[in-house]
Amino acid sequence: MSSSSQFKQLEKLGNGTYATVYKGLNKTTGVYVALKEVKLDSEEGTPSTAIREISLMKELKHDNIVRLYDVIHTENKLTLVFEYMDKDLKKYMDSRTTGNSPQGLELSLVKYFQWQLFEGISFCHENKILHRDLKPQNLLINNKGQLKLGDFGLARAFGIPVNTFSSEVVTLWYRAPDVLMGSRSYSTSIDMWSCGCILAEMLTGKPLFPGTNDEEQLKLIFDMMGTPTESTWPTVTTLPKYNSNFSIQVPKDLKKLLQPFTKEQLDDIVIDLLNGLLQLNPSMRLSAKQALHHPWFSEYYQQQPHQ
Amino acid sequence: MEGSDSKSVSGTVQEKPANYKRISDDDLYRHSSQYRFWSFTPEQLEQKRIDTNAQAVVSVEERLSAFRDENNADLTEEEVKTLLEKAVPVTMEEEVKLVNFYAKKVQGIAQHMNLPTEVVATSLTFFRRFYLENSVMDIDPKTIVHTTIFLACKSENYFISVDSFAKKTKSVREAILKHEFKLLESLKFSLLNHHPYRPLHGFFLDIQNLLTGKVDIKYMGQIYENCKKRITEALLTDAIYFYTPPQITLAALLLEDEALTLKYLETKFKPKEEEAETETEVDEKKKNKKVEDKDNSPKEDKPESSINYDVLLSLILACKEKIIELPSVTMDDAKNIAAKLYFCNNPMKAIANSKRKQEESVSDSGEKKQKI
Repeated sequence: MSSSSQFKQLEKLGNGTYATVYKGLNKTTGVYVALKEVKLDSEEGTPSTAIREISLMKELKHDNIVRLYDVIHTENKLTLVFEYMDKDLKKYMDSRTTGNSPQGLELSLVKYFQWQLFEGISFCHENKILHRDLKPQNLLINNKGQLKLGDFGLARAFGIPVNTFSSEVVTLWYRAPDVLMGSRSYSTSIDMWSCGCILAEMLTGKPLFPGTNDEEQLKLIFDMMGTPTESTWPTVTTLPKYNSNFSIQVPKDLKKLLQPFTKEQLDDIVIDLLNGLLQLNPSMRLSAKQALHHPWFSEYYQQQPHQ
Repeated sequence: MEGSDSKSVSGTVQEKPANYKRISDDDLYRHSSQYRFWSFTPEQLEQKRIDTNAQAVVSVEERLSAFRDENNADLTEEEVKTLLEKAVPVTMEEEVKLVNFYAKKVQGIAQHMNLPTEVVATSLTFFRRFYLENSVMDIDPKTIVHTTIFLACKSENYFISVDSFAKKTKSVREAILKHEFKLLESLKFSLLNHHPYRPLHGFFLDIQNLLTGKVDIKYMGQIYENCKKRITEALLTDAIYFYTPPQITLAALLLEDEALTLKYLETKFKPKEEEAETETEVDEKKKNKKVEDKDNSPKEDKPESSINYDVLLSLILACKEKIIELPSVTMDDAKNIAAKLYFCNNPMKAIANSKRKQEESVSDSGEKKQKI
C-alpha cells in the first residue's frame, strides 16, 4: 500500500469520466504514473463509478490494458495509480495531421495498433467485461508503440441475462446502430462496432461517422453501410427507435470511399475485416477472437512464438 | 453475443493459427482476483486466522497491561484478579465463531432487504474476507455489518442511496460510511466475485442439453431451487476458500440428486473407449463446441480430455463434505464471546460487571442479566 507522499503530482493530463487525471512521479522508483483523482463526496462515500472501475481493473491484467497499480486514500479524495502512457490515440493522430488535412496512419502501424486493440478487448470479453466506451481518446499509446485500453469508468461486467443495460453509453460517433435504435440487450458486439469505427479512423485520419445527434448518427451509418431490413437483420423493425421512414440506402463500396484519404493503397483483406466489424446486425459482427484470426493479421499469428 | 464461425464476410475460411490456444475458463478463474487473493489450502487459511488473531492479541494484551499499570494504585487485589480472569483477548476459535454468527446475520439482513441473490452473496463474502484480514478485537463485527452490505450494493451495481439504505436498516449514514475505505483496503480492492449461482445456471442448461428426454423439466426446476438454497448455505462455509465456484455447484447438485449428477458427470467427462478419432479431429470438435456454449459454460467445461473424471469426482465429493459442515453458532455462544470481546476492550466494565454480579448474588435477587 502506497501513500500519497510517495508521488509527486505533475501536469494535468485530462478529465476522465468521473475524475481528473494528472501525471505523477513515483519518488521512490523514478517511474512515471497516471494519477486519477476521485473526489470523495461525503454524501455517498466512495463513488460507485470508482468502485466499478477498481473492481474491473483488478481483474484485467493484460499487456494491452492499462494497469491499475494501487489505490490511495487521503482525507477527501481517492487516487487511482495507473500505469503511465505517453499519449492517447486521438492526440497521436492529431500530431500526425499536416496543416488542415487529416492524415491516415501507415498501414503497418494501423495493423499493429488494431491487433493490440483486439487483444485487449478480447481479454475483456473473455473475462465477461464490456468496455462500452471505446474511442481513440480511451486508447493509450506509449513510445514503444504499445496500445492499451484505458478508462473503464463506464465498463461493466456482464453475465446472464444481459438485457438491462442503459442505452446512454458509448460516445455517439462510435456507438453501434443497435444501441442507437434503443436495443438494451447488447453485449460484446457493442465494443466490436467501435473497433470498426476506430480502424477506419486510423486508416483515414478522420472519424468515420461524426454524427451530432442520434438521428444523424444513424443516417450517416446507413448512408455508408446500407439501411437494414428484416431480411438483412431479423427483428430490426421491433427495436424501440426503429423508424419505418429511414431513407433506403444500399451498402457502399468502403474501399472506394476510404481510399482517397488513406496514406497507402488499401487491399481487400482489410476491407473485409472492416466489413466484418461494421455489420449492422450485431449477431453478424465479428467477435474479438474471430477478428484476431482474420487473415489481415496472418503475419502476426504466424510469427508468435509457441506458448 | 458470440456468433458462430460461419460469418466470414468474404467467404474466406478463417484458419486458426497453428499455435491457437483458447484460454479455458479454468485458466481465467486462476487469473481472477478471487482466486489470487482469496483461495487457500486449509493449512493456509488456518495460519491466516492464527496470525490475524495473534497480532490482535499482542496489542490487546499490551493495552490491558498498560491499564493495570496505570490503575495499579486504585485497584484492589480482587479487582486485579477479576481483570486477569475476565479481561482477556478472544481466541482464534472464538473469533471464527463470532464472525460466522455475524456472517449469517449479514445474509439475513441482506435477504430481508430483498437484495438480489448475488448481492446477498457478495455482502457476506466481503464480511467474511474482512475478518480474515482484521480481528474482531480491532473492529467490532457489529459496526461493519451494514458497511459490507452497502459496499456490496455498489460493487454489484445495485444502486441504493446511503440515506435510503440507512432508513431501511435503521442505521445512520456516518456509521455506514465510516469504515468503507478500511473495508475496501482489507478486501485488497478485489471486488469482483464469482459465486456458484452462475455455474448453476450453466450446468442446468448443459444437463438438459446432454440428457435430453431423460430429465423432467418440472423436476429440474425444483432441483434448481434446492441447489440455489444449498449454495446460499455453502457460502457460509470454508468451502468457498478451498474450492472453485463450479466445484461447489457440482457438490450442491450431488447432494440434491446424486444419481442425476453422476450420470451427467459420466456422460460429460468419462472417456469413452469407442471414440478412436485422431487427436486433431477431437481438438477441432472441441474448439467448435467451445464457441457454441461459451457464454453459459461453467468453469469445468473445458475440453473433456483435460479433465480427469476420477480426480473431478473425488474433488466434488470432498467439497460436498465441506459444504455440509455448516457452522452453527448458538445465540448463547455468540453472546458469551461478544461479552468477552467487550470486556477485553473495556476492562473497567469487567470489574463493574463482576462487582454487580457479586452484589446480585449477595442480595440474592436471583435476577441474572447479562448485557451485551
